[in-house]
Amino acid sequence: MSLLTPQQIADVLQAAAGAGFVSARCTEWAEGVKGRKSKQVWLKIARESLIPTLKRLVEIQYPHVSVIAFADTGAQVELMYHFHVYWGIPHEEILVTLAVPLDKTDLRVPTITGIIPGALTSEREKQEMLGIEVVDIPDGRRLFLPEDFPQGVYPWRKDETGIPADMVKNLWATGRDNLQFNDNPPPPAAPAAPQGETK
Amino acid sequence: MKLSQTLGKSLWAFLFNSGSCNGCEIESVACVTPRYDLERFGIKVVGSPRHADLLLISGPVTRKMAPRLRRVYEQMPEPRIVVCVGTCGTSGGAFYDSYTLVGPVDQVVPVDMYVPGCPPRPEAIIDGVVKVLARLEASEKNA
Amino acid sequence: MKTIEVKKPSGYATQIGPAHPALKEPVMFSLDIEGECIKKADFVPGMAHRGVEWMGMRRNCIQVMYLAERICGICGITHSISFVRAVEQIAQIQVPNRAHYIRSIVGELERIHSHLLWAGVAAHELGFDSAFYLAWRVRENVMDLLEYLTGNRVHYAIIQIGGVRRDIVPDQFPRIEESMKFFEDAYDKLAAVFLDDTTVQMRCRDCGVLTNDEARELCPVGPTARASGIKKDVRVDHPYAAYGDLEIDYMTPDLLTGEVRGDVYDRIITRLLEVKQSIGIVRQLLAQMPDGPLLAIPKPAVLLAKLKGVAGEAVGRHEAPRGEVMHYVRLEAGKDEPSAWKVKASSYSNYLSWIPMMEGEQIADIPIIAASIDPCISCTDRVALVRKDSRQILTKEELHRLSVEKTRRIQASLLK
Repeated sequence: MSLLTPQQIADVLQAAAGAGFVSARCTEWAEGVKGRKSKQVWLKIARESLIPTLKRLVEIQYPHVSVIAFADTGAQVELMYHFHVYWGIPHEEILVTLAVPLDKTDLRVPTITGIIPGALTSEREKQEMLGIEVVDIPDGRRLFLPEDFPQGVYPWRKDETGIPADMVKNLWATGRDNLQFNDNPPPPAAPAAPQGETK
Repeated sequence: MKLSQTLGKSLWAFLFNSGSCNGCEIESVACVTPRYDLERFGIKVVGSPRHADLLLISGPVTRKMAPRLRRVYEQMPEPRIVVCVGTCGTSGGAFYDSYTLVGPVDQVVPVDMYVPGCPPRPEAIIDGVVKVLARLEASEKNA
Repeated sequence: MKTIEVKKPSGYATQIGPAHPALKEPVMFSLDIEGECIKKADFVPGMAHRGVEWMGMRRNCIQVMYLAERICGICGITHSISFVRAVEQIAQIQVPNRAHYIRSIVGELERIHSHLLWAGVAAHELGFDSAFYLAWRVRENVMDLLEYLTGNRVHYAIIQIGGVRRDIVPDQFPRIEESMKFFEDAYDKLAAVFLDDTTVQMRCRDCGVLTNDEARELCPVGPTARASGIKKDVRVDHPYAAYGDLEIDYMTPDLLTGEVRGDVYDRIITRLLEVKQSIGIVRQLLAQMPDGPLLAIPKPAVLLAKLKGVAGEAVGRHEAPRGEVMHYVRLEAGKDEPSAWKVKASSYSNYLSWIPMMEGEQIADIPIIAASIDPCISCTDRVALVRKDSRQILTKEELHRLSVEKTRRIQASLLK
């Protein structure tokens, strides 16, 4: 099997994404005395292109899905699908990241479990933590959050649906009602709570 | 080591992890392995709270585990000793604020002894258990 | 949010858990049982969900590093190493090579300690407590060594963004070599205990099978994947720290037995082989260790100021004892805290493979199958058997007793 370079992978996936393609970049990072490089491909694509791009990636090598990461950027929620290809070949693995931005007005994304069943854990987690609807997910139950967790509160969001201040328990303050007479300094104050921030 | 009359001949312990990182848990288990060998004192780790005199709790108590912790505590026969192992169960530690924690441990069940450390060494856990026993003996003598 | 319809199970429905918090996600099993046989398996994690990512998005990067260390108390270095590698890539901080070597050495010692811990727990689940004590006695030696090198038994706190906080000096090498010799002897003993023992073979051979195809689709990592013949190891695939300088091989069970079956026994072989491999890696790293500084930016205040000025996203990965750990970090200019942080622990990827492993097996095999992916064990805390309206509770003790009884039955049949 002849291996594609990261740039070639980016080009191939760009073609597969078609009109949904937004941007692509390749990065490298070297560590150690020999300075062998680890390679990454970062693609930003629209939701509609996710499945065709992934299908093209499967043709290169059946990828290992690592996790779906997230970022709340204000008006959008970005999902980062991290895949590895060329694993099993020493020092040649390439990390392919498909970033899919979703508008907060329409937080729906197709499931990829039809192609890679191992993505189920991560998709279930995204549903409960970010309020995203994964269309056609085979198992939509909650995963990590308790059964009595309020609906419509999504811990990883930084807007009004994030964790409200009254849900936060300050463990360090319990039993320290007389804090003003206490020599113990309180723990470093957390940066201004991200809830309710308008960006 | 002599145990107090109330507890009979040997002390049986139940380990409960209320959502800790596992560090305290592993150090508690290390106490019963050959290097520290708690069993020479007759202290044994059991698998059911109904057989236990001593409850070793680690972790800052997550929402899902809080009712289970209360239930385990209630299932234990009296008299029961509760030792809170680790800083996060004592005051939150690194997890000092969160939306899914209801701890520290003493907000959920009463605690007799705190063993600080992240995680405490096995020697410290043994020391904590021995100290709480000594206190129990002293209180029985005074009564 | 959609919910799926839960079908009424035939036979029994069994729950195992609330569990032992594995990494950040402990697990509760719910199983449909017919007689002794598991028909359908499912799991509910989240018992130890502490909201670590949410907390991290409110703290500065150096604070997050210590928080990351406390995600797991068994792999203390894996999460901090993954997090700092992501931050270093964003800020383009070149870590001194000596620091890379020290990181790798501590990482390998941690693998030895974790695999020995696992070997003990697995032996305990089989009712083989003398092997449990043997493995944990050997493990105390690596804990001593880790304490000698880093100052701590569990959370080593040796990693810093841009390097490490403590040196390993040549005066310490003889002590490390002494321990390596000790582990080599112990490896031979443990290999004899686990691999030549007929009872262990009969309990673990063809039990809890994960085929190569299932492993490919469900994307497990670490020894769980490699025992099914998936050649995947971050240390080999993705050169990082000092691992890129070494020639490391994928440890698959066929190196020892010539075949891959993907059962519990293969997972035992894989982990034992990795202990031996780690001993070799530590020796190579010590022999090749370059001189130089330990930290790229020694002053934390300077470091924080630099991190406040950078923006970008990156992924940091590390091969933990249980498999790949991955941290995605995004930093914004002018902010102390990461604007996004996603932690992927190794058991997170391995959970799904429990389902094909358990289906078709017996109740008495649950402890060893659950333990075989090394989820930080005790997931078999409490089992409830539900039969129509009556509810029977199986405690961990009883489940353990069932497992031990099966071992004794097998031993008795051997004697006949």
